[in-house]
Amino acid sequence: MAETTEKKEFFTSRWGMILAVIGIAVGTGNIWRFSRIVAQNGGGSFLIPWIIFLLAWSIPLIIAEFAIGKYTRKGTIGAIGKLAGARYAWMGAFIGFVATAIMFYYSVVAGWCMKYLTSSLSGSLLTTEDHVALWGSFTGSYEPIVFHMTAMLIGAFVIYKGVVSGIERTNRILIPSLLVILLTLAVRAVTLDGAWEGIQYLFTPSWETLLDYKVWLAALTQNAWDTGAGWGLILTYACYARQKEDIALNAALTAFGNNSVSLLAGITIFSTVFALAPGDGVKELISGQGSTNTGLAFIFLPQLFEKMPGGPAVQTFFSTIFFLGLSFAALTSLISMIELAVKTFIDMGMARNRALAMVATLGFLFGIPSALSMNFFENQDFVWGIGLMVSGGFISFAVIKHGADKFRREAVNGEGSDVKVGKWYNVMITWLIPIQVFALIVWWFYLSIFSYDPEGWWNPFHLYSVGTCLAQWGVMMVLFIVFNKWMVRKTLSSGAEV
Amino acid sequence: METSTVVTMILVLGTVWGGFAIALRTALKKEKQKKNSQ
Repeated sequence: MAETTEKKEFFTSRWGMILAVIGIAVGTGNIWRFSRIVAQNGGGSFLIPWIIFLLAWSIPLIIAEFAIGKYTRKGTIGAIGKLAGARYAWMGAFIGFVATAIMFYYSVVAGWCMKYLTSSLSGSLLTTEDHVALWGSFTGSYEPIVFHMTAMLIGAFVIYKGVVSGIERTNRILIPSLLVILLTLAVRAVTLDGAWEGIQYLFTPSWETLLDYKVWLAALTQNAWDTGAGWGLILTYACYARQKEDIALNAALTAFGNNSVSLLAGITIFSTVFALAPGDGVKELISGQGSTNTGLAFIFLPQLFEKMPGGPAVQTFFSTIFFLGLSFAALTSLISMIELAVKTFIDMGMARNRALAMVATLGFLFGIPSALSMNFFENQDFVWGIGLMVSGGFISFAVIKHGADKFRREAVNGEGSDVKVGKWYNVMITWLIPIQVFALIVWWFYLSIFSYDPEGWWNPFHLYSVGTCLAQWGVMMVLFIVFNKWMVRKTLSSGAEV
Repeated sequence: METSTVVTMILVLGTVWGGFAIALRTALKKEKQKKNSQ
């Protein structure tokens, strides 16, 4: 069995760990995806199922991840192998790979945010005449590779400093700073003339829309993507939780904290859109350039900053802090993705710094195609975004295989728990999560077959096809199943069931 | 402003921000208890 050379480190306090985990959950999706999905799904009508799925999807899975990490003290492969049995360790490898594949292109996204931060600081962003052309010329150049490399280097440096001096300290600075930035932007946004119209739109429900199953599926998808539940990232950080650390209350703090940030970002964006682009603003969010994540952040919002009252200095200030916040949100999530991959190799007996050098180098190299091609980027975002739902299913499977009630009693309600979780949790993790995983995957495949690519949905070389998902997932799953015994031998200690 | 808007606003903000505030308050209380018992 491999002996790990890792020095045991733990988060120094509950608050250090909570801020780090909120750093995982709060990403660019809270800021740029939430608002446009709300706009496309009937405003207030979307928020009701969004809250229901916070309770039905995010919280049970975050509890599971916290408990699995603290209980097994292993990264995704070792954790699933220990919990469900060694023959299922490949599922842990798949969970880890999905998050790592996302890391490859998420580093590119963090780079875009940093590029726009520098453009805003220099004043060039708000003096440009054509934001579409600016975005096109940037993404069509080699510049994204430079910013992708910078983001990866920053992330790797934080991981190099370790759990306490790197991950905990960085999040202790960046997360409160991000909150101050979002509050500053929110105060400015809601005090703009006409902002109230936007807030009303955000909270006005339409009962007709509320009965539309598509709105419910969009709300479930938003929870699956933006809370970090089921990704394996919280599981990885929980390996460094102190033995006396609580599970359920920390999970609630993470989930409600994450969605609180989404709401704050939503209030800010809706106020700004309705105040500075009355009439066409919401149409832009629903079907214009703002209807894509990148279109909203890098094309539409810079146009709105130019219209902000107060002159160029004020416009530059708010634009700069917006992109600073976006960069912080992206970096804190990127750091956790790097740590997940590093922890996997540490579990296999590799020294932390060697594992880090390998992950950062591979992360940079495999991110290059996404930095150079938006088509490649979009394909990867589609494939591994849906892959996350499979990951959520595998986490639920591992808990079921271990015994949901035993898991609840020993891992969730074990040493240090402040709040005991009742038997309702067994039902949630055994039935509700698998049903939601099934509904989500069927829904996204349905969209591919009937909406995105009716002609070529089966073709593995098409961008948004069922074929591309099955082919890429299939290759990785087969690989992990073939190497399962080897991974188990390298990762699990002698007590594991092989 | 319509009644349904006010109700939704209270429901959504109350659940999400209120949920966070309650969880934070409970965590602070539990941490204080742990410190006092040490």
